[in-house]
Amino acid sequence: MEEHDHSHDHDHDHSPIESPGDVPPSYYEVMETSLRELLIEKQLIAPGEIRRQLEVLDSRTPALGAKVVARAWVDPEFRSRLLEDGRSACEDFGITFYDDTKLIVLENTDKVHNLIVCTLCSCYPRPVLGLPPDWYKAKPYRARAVKEPRAVLKEFGTQIPEDVEIRVSDSTSMVRYLVLPRRPEGTKDFTEEQLAGLVTRDAMIGVITIEPVN
Amino acid sequence: MSSTEMLLKRLPNDIGGVPADPIVQTDHPLLPWEKRCHALADVLDFHKIINSEEKRRGVEALGTELIGKLTYYERWAAVFALILFEKGILHPEELARKMAEVQGRHQAEPAS
Repeated sequence: MEEHDHSHDHDHDHSPIESPGDVPPSYYEVMETSLRELLIEKQLIAPGEIRRQLEVLDSRTPALGAKVVARAWVDPEFRSRLLEDGRSACEDFGITFYDDTKLIVLENTDKVHNLIVCTLCSCYPRPVLGLPPDWYKAKPYRARAVKEPRAVLKEFGTQIPEDVEIRVSDSTSMVRYLVLPRRPEGTKDFTEEQLAGLVTRDAMIGVITIEPVN
Repeated sequence: MSSTEMLLKRLPNDIGGVPADPIVQTDHPLLPWEKRCHALADVLDFHKIINSEEKRRGVEALGTELIGKLTYYERWAAVFALILFEKGILHPEELARKMAEVQGRHQAEPAS
């Protein structure tokens, strides 16, 4: 199902979605408002669509990705489907994709550590993680992750043993990646929900590993 | 290597592998207008009016100086306007008029 086609099952008031504030809007905020209003006037987009998409954006956080990871840790069948086709496994899990992107899930093992980046811009697995942090979109990470990943990881406090290969995957507008971190030691008796609580955004980008639980 | 060769090989977005500063783990919660700008980008993509690759190329076409000076979502707003002009969906004068109207609305109704 495409999110933007859903019929509204609750009332929306149609008051402006700008929030009034004391600060006058910037030139670019005025531009954003103007573009949106002109496109609505021309009936190229519907008034409710922006509001609906704001709700979709608000509903996507790393907690969703964490649930996917925890499920993969406890359910080997789900894990293999996830590694085979990330998007359809997530969709079966109830996570809708609101864009046309493919999702490739990269599994960390004792031999390979994965790191994701978008060197050209800011492509990111948004349906499962929400929007990327600023540092992911900034030059230092984009420029250096593909060239000196170990040095980059060190700046995040992460040290990967020399005998573990570091594999960096560069996202595109059509192909997005998600790292499946290694399940930490000391979690044998954890429930799926407890496991999900250990999984962070940065671990799913691959800049950190998940610490063992004592 | 000639002085322009690197410029041609490395368009403004193509920075993978170039030397850069240490990573500063910055983040900020999006401002309301930035989030609306993101939602607008998604809706434009749904309707095949502007897809994300067109948006990325549009940002690149802003050139290094503007890319460096504008914030992330300022670039997006600017690029949407330029692409919509290019596609003949909006006319620059229309946008100018609408922007004056929106600006005027804020001046007429100062926030309480």
